[in-house]
Amino acid sequence: MTAATVPQDLGRVWALRRSERSLLAWCLLCMTLGFTLVLGSVHSGGRVIGIADLLPLFTYALCLICLHLVLVAIRFRGDPILVAAGAFLAGFGLLAQYRLGAFDGPDAQALYLFPAGVLIMVAVVAAFMGGRYRVLAAGPWVWGGLSLAMVAVLLITGQRFRGGVYALGFTTPTEVLKLSVVVFIAGFVGRHAQTLAQWDRRLHLPLPPWRPLWPLAAFWAALAGLLMAQRDLGMIVILSVALLAMLVAGTRRPGYLVFGLLAAGGLGYLMTAVFEHGRRRIEAWQDPFADPTGDGWQILQGLSGMYSGGLWGEGFGQGSPGYTPIARSDFVYSVVGEEVGFVGGVLVVLFFLIVFSRGMRIARRSHDQIGMLLATGLTAVLATQTFLNVGGVTKFVPLTGITLPFISHGGASLLTAFATLGLLLAISDTGTGSPRKASRPARSPRAGVRGQAKAPNKTPAETQTKPTPRRKRASKRAPGSGDDGAAG
Amino acid sequence: MDSGAWPTLRVALHVAFFLCAFFILRQVFALVRDGDGAKGQKARRRGLPPLPSLPVIGLALLFAAVLGYQASWQLAGVFRPEFVAFMQSHDRREFNPAHLIQRGRILDRTGEVLAYSQEHQGQVFRLYPYGPAFAHAVGYTDPRFGVTGAEAAANTRLNGGAPDNLAAWSGLGLHLLAKDKRLRGQDLVLNLDARLQLTALQGLGSRRGAVVVLRPRDGAILALASAPSFDPNRIGPELFQGANASTPLLNRATQGFYPPGSTFKVVVAAMAIEGGFTGTLNCPADGYTTSRRYPKIRDHEFYTGRGWRGHGDLDLPTAFSESSNVFFAQLGVRLGHDALAAAAERFGFDRQVRLYPGADRAGTMSTGRIPRLAKSDLYGLAQASIGQGRVLATPAHMALIAAAVANGGLAMRPRLLADEPPAPLAGYMAPATSTRLTRMMRKVVSSGTGKGIEVPELAIAGKTGTAENPRGPAHSWFIGFAPAQDPDLAVAVLVEHGGYGSATAAPIARDLLVQARELGIIP
Repeated sequence: MTAATVPQDLGRVWALRRSERSLLAWCLLCMTLGFTLVLGSVHSGGRVIGIADLLPLFTYALCLICLHLVLVAIRFRGDPILVAAGAFLAGFGLLAQYRLGAFDGPDAQALYLFPAGVLIMVAVVAAFMGGRYRVLAAGPWVWGGLSLAMVAVLLITGQRFRGGVYALGFTTPTEVLKLSVVVFIAGFVGRHAQTLAQWDRRLHLPLPPWRPLWPLAAFWAALAGLLMAQRDLGMIVILSVALLAMLVAGTRRPGYLVFGLLAAGGLGYLMTAVFEHGRRRIEAWQDPFADPTGDGWQILQGLSGMYSGGLWGEGFGQGSPGYTPIARSDFVYSVVGEEVGFVGGVLVVLFFLIVFSRGMRIARRSHDQIGMLLATGLTAVLATQTFLNVGGVTKFVPLTGITLPFISHGGASLLTAFATLGLLLAISDTGTGSPRKASRPARSPRAGVRGQAKAPNKTPAETQTKPTPRRKRASKRAPGSGDDGAAG
Repeated sequence: MDSGAWPTLRVALHVAFFLCAFFILRQVFALVRDGDGAKGQKARRRGLPPLPSLPVIGLALLFAAVLGYQASWQLAGVFRPEFVAFMQSHDRREFNPAHLIQRGRILDRTGEVLAYSQEHQGQVFRLYPYGPAFAHAVGYTDPRFGVTGAEAAANTRLNGGAPDNLAAWSGLGLHLLAKDKRLRGQDLVLNLDARLQLTALQGLGSRRGAVVVLRPRDGAILALASAPSFDPNRIGPELFQGANASTPLLNRATQGFYPPGSTFKVVVAAMAIEGGFTGTLNCPADGYTTSRRYPKIRDHEFYTGRGWRGHGDLDLPTAFSESSNVFFAQLGVRLGHDALAAAAERFGFDRQVRLYPGADRAGTMSTGRIPRLAKSDLYGLAQASIGQGRVLATPAHMALIAAAVANGGLAMRPRLLADEPPAPLAGYMAPATSTRLTRMMRKVVSSGTGKGIEVPELAIAGKTGTAENPRGPAHSWFIGFAPAQDPDLAVAVLVEHGGYGSATAAPIARDLLVQARELGIIP
């Protein structure tokens, strides 16, 4: 890239990101309507609206504008739809939190979380885009070790509250595990993909190879044990689903899923048998009416709020979410259901589904094994977290006490969700932003169509780089099978 | 922004918010369709969006299931009775529509209101104007302590969740879609007659006991009284705690097990008739026993040794009307263990009979208990044959037996809800047997142990019972029906420790039947 091409390149990226620009503008309009609704009901309730009340909306607008400009400036060519879906969900969350009074009075500094999250997201994109995320796979055990050490330290120094363990100031540093553990597994599975895929027949059963698997199993036992000591069942489920998804995606062995489900069933049974805490939650889930004012109270209050909302809800600012327990974090979906009704819930779920499908698409189209594994793992983490939260609040599955990505108010959780989105976006940029790093063989018909269309000046020689493990595997298979089913 | 325009503006903003969000969704889907690479372009030429990958479809299905389940609470919560009850008392959101559901009333057969809902300061309260009188039959609805009785049986209907006409359907639709506040549940009509029920309770007075009045023809329950009772307007935890000797929660009519005493002779007599028994049995004054080790079963402890020569040779109708224990103890032993077991089967002992569709524990009646006796236990058999020993019965079951005699041997399923169609429960005996038993039971009242309650124009047929029990004075029983020729009502009265059946229970039954005649229930 010469200096002369920069302005032209900038112009092209500006044009390329036109759809993102328009989607973000619509998001802004949508949230402006929502904020007007809240402000109007506050005003009609007799309160005078000050400039501080407009701050969250201004923050949101400023963040979207800056986000877009920075993405253009760093010549980001990744997924615009993912950016927009994330922006919508985050705006929805900001609206819900504002409505719940999260930024009033002494909590006002909580508003900084949002720009901080966007900042982290942009930083992650800038740091890892253009294939640079591959450095993450360099030393998997560093990530693994750090993860274990952090959980152990937290277990020793943390304070217990409401059945969980929290660090100073009620932050939950374990949220970072959603990134660090995924990076570890991606590195590990990427490195041992071929051996892990060699299943053999023992005892008349196709069994996974034990030799490459045992370090992973040992790590998992340690991690799950530490998390169980903290009673963070939700995190174990999230990370286990991510592990299975990445194992299956990396080795194309659905058998891992079968064994994983068997192990999960056994462990789940064991845990409900041993831990009173878990058993009570299961019982409260199965029959909340057995103890409606005790164990069933939270879930029934949440459902009552949603029933009050009905199909359309009364509109933002019209409900009484103060009666919903833990409304700002775990039960925020119930508040959404109360204020904007069932339709609002469907909207949120649809936008989450867009995020997941884009995540899987990024995994499918990633140019190397590490990118594919990372995107798969990160998407699995987001999807599982969303499912456990929404399912828990609606009594579809037992409550696990985890937050809803982007929408819940948990500080660490929000920042982690933004960082996850940033990493996904960074992976989506591979191959087109920096020709030097592009590694996909040009003969593959589906290799970054946009890259070929937008950068026709690339020569095959430029795109040839060191073969990655994934490419080696891909070349063994029939052409055309490389794109499908990679996301487990 | 003035407050007058705000409600309209609010709705407009609300709608605009949704439209805007859906427009973003549309844009996204357009982008996905147009920009998804070669596959997408190929598909676009065919006018179809690219097929999503398998995991995406799986995830979408999973979340669709979650949303569907969510809708079953959020939109269709009115079909979940416990949920509605929970919201009505524990949800402080004033706009929660559950607070404003006009739960249907519960009426007796004449339209007398037994339960209704009243709104007071934004909260709906359930009121029972008769207090404890109908507590067991009608039940109560309380968010903490649940829903029982008829309230539970027809909960969905009472809450408006089971519409049966177009207006009700549109009301429910409005409620589901727009959370219309005016959802009004349907009224529930019971077969009970408030006046008979009150008379029954008046007859029991402060004594513990139960009264059941049935229409033999169709099984309609006209009175189902149990004393003592509780006030469903004031349900508190103390009602469910501690060992309260009077056990007000126990529905003595349907769940109270008592030795049936001589009323059980109706069953034994039916057995004997069906077994072809004719002739006489000698009944000496000093009684009868199966073995010297056991005390003798006698007819009149009082007269023994004062020159009373006993009944002598008795035939079945005379022994029945005189309620001779000596006769029936011998008869039972002669008929044998198998006949008793067969009678237990035939008369539906050891069963649960529901009083309305989908009934819970509170809505079923237990029938009596006849345990299987050892072949060698002849004394136990003799005791069982006079309704003592290990034989137990519930007042509702005894009423059902009386009603079966009145209805040609066929017991109709007891029904509490007026709109449940009549259905047969079981044939307790052959029609010929029931005819003979009717004659015998009529003789009890016209000239036997029950002659104290004879009302010629009513022609009551019945059987008294005085059931000894280890806890105190004998329980007082009366079962019967009237008029004997074409029975309109069957009745069972039990007064705990009430003494002689003829002295305590029978007059209560007579008062009920006399009042029923005055009310026109018996023409």
